[in-house]
Amino acid sequence: METAIQMGTAFVGTLGFGLLFHLRTRHMISAAVCGVFTWGVFLLTAHWVEGIFFPSLIASAFATLLAETMARIRKAPATLYLILGVVPLIPGSSLYYAMSYAVQKDWEKFREYGYQTMAYALGIALGMFLVWALYGMLGKALALTQEQTM
Amino acid sequence: MQEKILHELLNIGEAMLTNGSEVNRVEDTLSRMGKACGASQMNVFVITSSIVVTMTFSDGRAVTQTRRILKPGGTDFRKLEDFNALSRRFCKEPMPAEELKAEIEKIQNAPGERGKFYLGSMLAAGGFAVFFGGNLADGVMAAVFAVLICLLQERLMPFCANRMVFNLLCAVVAGLGIGLTARLNPYVHMDKIMIGDIMLLIPGIAMTNAVRDVLVGDTISGIMRLVETILWAGALACGFMAAIWLIGG
Repeated sequence: METAIQMGTAFVGTLGFGLLFHLRTRHMISAAVCGVFTWGVFLLTAHWVEGIFFPSLIASAFATLLAETMARIRKAPATLYLILGVVPLIPGSSLYYAMSYAVQKDWEKFREYGYQTMAYALGIALGMFLVWALYGMLGKALALTQEQTM
Repeated sequence: MQEKILHELLNIGEAMLTNGSEVNRVEDTLSRMGKACGASQMNVFVITSSIVVTMTFSDGRAVTQTRRILKPGGTDFRKLEDFNALSRRFCKEPMPAEELKAEIEKIQNAPGERGKFYLGSMLAAGGFAVFFGGNLADGVMAAVFAVLICLLQERLMPFCANRMVFNLLCAVVAGLGIGLTARLNPYVHMDKIMIGDIMLLIPGIAMTNAVRDVLVGDTISGIMRLVETILWAGALACGFMAAIWLIGG
């Protein structure tokens, strides 16, 4: 039930950001679905792997692949699908708890949530980067083999 | 003549940057467009606060212009898509500077949609309040305070020196409002409502972009943006913390 609520609200939230960022109506639903899928991959990975860093890395790598694919299908810059795809991974909650424990001077908990916030941010960025690096290598390798066969 | 076209290229670059494009994408687009209109070599250097372009032509002439970017960037996917399409069209068949200028202005002056801005903020704040574990009432309250944040963004933002000051003030005002509401109505949770509204103000996307810029190799841009976003997030945290402290939660 909790998972269903999260999936539904991830859709609504991503849709909201789509509107906020002036996304064209024709991309709206598919971008929101990208956000839902990314969160699904995060939950699936988190089911098997401990911690936050690795699941957010996998989820963001997935979002990047999905965004590149959607950009080709829908003929739009990949950025719009990518940014909206990773919106559910943004660590708003852990940032809030980190600072609320700082107010209460509970430094143990503050460290825990501060670390979580950073783990999300690093995971998202590294996930994107890994896919791009592989993508770039693959593209160059393909270009090279095409040159050689010519 | 070449100066005129370069001026328009800088206009496109600035517009893309202030509407949320990545630094390396702007560099790439400007290089392609310059080559399409006859430059034999394009040297483009873009960071979040400045653009430097030198176009070299085959007859040996070189034109250089720079642009200082002062306006902080927002995100507008519609304009980004349009500029992307315009640059592709230009690369296929270059147009004269006047025509390019008219096209850029047409995209830049597209009317903003106020309704969508409010609706989007409400959906995003409400959705994420519930997403992070709030109940339906929390979602509704987060949406109500999203309207307040939108109003502040429209009315208060122009008076603020920068985004840091705005985030601080906005967080204090919204935090006090949310805290008092949660005091009067024990059915809603202060933390969940605040989290929903934090999602609107947190520079999560900018921060991710910053780390990515560093990893991709645009180190200066990345570090500049990273420091900026950490300050924004810090101001946001201080604002909400001050509100929580004032209310005594």
